[in-house]
Amino acid sequence: MALTSHPLLSALRRNPTGAVLIALQIGITLAILVNAAAIVTRAIQKMSRPSGVDTRDTFVMTMVGLSKNFNVYSTSSADLAYLRHLPGVAAASIVFGTPLTDNGSDTSVGRSPGSRGPTVTSALLPVDQQGLRTLDVALIAGRNFRGSEIRVPSAAHPDPRIGEVIVTQALAHALFAHQSALGQTIYVGSHTPSTIIGITRNFMGPQLGQHAYDTVLAPEIVTQYDMYDLLVRTRPGQRAAVFRAAKRHIGTADPNAVIGQAVTFAHAKRLLYSGLRDLAIFLSFLTLVMLALCCLGIFGLGTFNVATRTRQIGIRRALGARRRDIVALFLAENALVVAIGAIFGCLLALAIGQWLTDHDGVARLDPWYLLVGVAILALTSQLAAWQPARRAARIPPSVATRTI
Amino acid sequence: MLEMHNISKVYRTDMIETHALREFSLQVAAGEFVAVSGPSGSGKTTFLNVAGLLETFDGGTYRLDGQDVSGLSDNARARIRNEKIGFVFQSFNLIADLDIFDNVDVPLRYRRMKADERKARITNSLELVGLTSRMRHLPSQLSGGQQQRAAIARAIAGDPALILADEPTGNLDSLMARQIMGLLEKINSMGTTVVLVTHDPELARRAQRNIHVIDGLVADTVAPSDPAARGPHGQTHAESAVD
Ligand SMILES: Nc1ncnc2c1ncn2[C@@H]1O[C@H](COP(=O)(O)OP(=O)(O)O)[C@@H](O)[C@H]1O
Ligand SMILES: [Mg+2]
Repeated sequence: MALTSHPLLSALRRNPTGAVLIALQIGITLAILVNAAAIVTRAIQKMSRPSGVDTRDTFVMTMVGLSKNFNVYSTSSADLAYLRHLPGVAAASIVFGTPLTDNGSDTSVGRSPGSRGPTVTSALLPVDQQGLRTLDVALIAGRNFRGSEIRVPSAAHPDPRIGEVIVTQALAHALFAHQSALGQTIYVGSHTPSTIIGITRNFMGPQLGQHAYDTVLAPEIVTQYDMYDLLVRTRPGQRAAVFRAAKRHIGTADPNAVIGQAVTFAHAKRLLYSGLRDLAIFLSFLTLVMLALCCLGIFGLGTFNVATRTRQIGIRRALGARRRDIVALFLAENALVVAIGAIFGCLLALAIGQWLTDHDGVARLDPWYLLVGVAILALTSQLAAWQPARRAARIPPSVATRTI
Repeated sequence: MLEMHNISKVYRTDMIETHALREFSLQVAAGEFVAVSGPSGSGKTTFLNVAGLLETFDGGTYRLDGQDVSGLSDNARARIRNEKIGFVFQSFNLIADLDIFDNVDVPLRYRRMKADERKARITNSLELVGLTSRMRHLPSQLSGGQQQRAAIARAIAGDPALILADEPTGNLDSLMARQIMGLLEKINSMGTTVVLVTHDPELARRAQRNIHVIDGLVADTVAPSDPAARGPHGQTHAESAVD
């Protein structure tokens, strides 16, 4: 028998408005559920990437000079000397830009000069010879900068060429794939060549995003902006005390300078991810609310159907339907509505996913999300229909003879 | 076919107890055509509901087709309703969403019958009631008499041993009522036991036996002493009057 004359469909055809509305609701919920799940999953994946640095014991203080009398060289040296002798400090260093803080600069790195050939957008992290130790980032090949290699550019020698650089493993791989990057020549935002003298294991740069692990470290103390970052790593468990003492001393040591910002890496990481986390929480909440509304709609439709079809149910019971046949009838009708809604929802989900890909460069929607989304919706909707179906099954068969 | 002994049935609400049946005893032999009459509220529908396992009873014994049916599970009762009993109701009780074919199909589907056998049975019973040409009509597209014939087709499609009819002609004019009565007689003549509740003395007279129910009790039974006295058109003794 053709599907169009199946008894299940005839019931729906006779009173389609409620069913169509619920199917629409199911479809929209599914489309949002699936895309939200994909976005939330990506956000969680991003947030759970390893930072590669010691977030527990590290903090950074940005110093800002305030007057013409500010001498960046003497003040920074004094700060560094103080910090390195402070009990509880494992390492301290002057840097410009720090991981996780959203504070740092980008550059393009390529194997050929200028914009010839492909380049990789990377973070540029000027450090002194203590930089790697302070970051607690190990070298996996090559060597660290020597003290003699650290340049301190001045007004007389602005923007000196970078001679030696250290790159992260990710950047090395991005530039040279499986070739050895050590000793190779690269061009860091300029036409002058640099040599890779070391490769570190991966750690996250100042910013999130696609190139989070692509960082080039340059042996340089940047001072021309009358600003510098003091990076401090403490011995385990000493961070709070050291952080407090350092802020107190350095904040008042030079009347011509102030602490612009002082954050722990742990706090910086939370801040860095707060947008993503809020988005994930909002989308999850929105999806849950929509799912709940969907269940409410299904529950309402089921309740309405039971109320308006009491007599029919009694008749079916009189004709030999067992209670579970009545439950099955209502669940089957619900499943049909859900199926129609799910087909519509899948199409809508793909359309939304495509739109996100086109407009926001979000990765294409994985069909697995559709499959799991349909399964979740099918299950919850059947649960929502369950109670009215049970109520229907309790209608006694004598309804067939008793109500006119 | 049907043996009821001292059946009692009490409806309890918060305020009142209604003894709808008390010490109700009745035996109906296989193949019999029995008419039940009595004043409104006397317990006729209650009797049919108990007989048809639509409701349980409170006391007494009831054997249906040789089987003691007290204490059966809800599923077992549904199965007996489905296999042994055909119901015909005063208000037809066709399912409005389904066309005539699908209506007749309902009890057969609950019997888990194969599609081709269902189809054969549906066509046969619709042919018997003369509705073959209307099987894709919805109930609302048929006259009352046609709807009741469809309901009879549904009642007999499963080939039940017993037909229980509760005032099946109550909503019909006398011409249609006689048609329905004729159909029930035809079905009875093919071996099915029929118990018919009716207000209509003319129709009751056409039954083999008349039961009179008053106040939940069988008041008297009138049977034709001589089967020959029961004419082909249902004329019978004057004393079998029901009112
Ligand atoms: N579900 C019920 N609850 C309470 N009382 C009922 C119920 N069904 C029937 N009754 C009462 O039982 C008595 C018998 O009813 P019924 O069998 O329907 O009579 P009849 O069919 O002969 O008119 C009536 O007094 C009626 O009010
Ligand atoms: Mg009645």
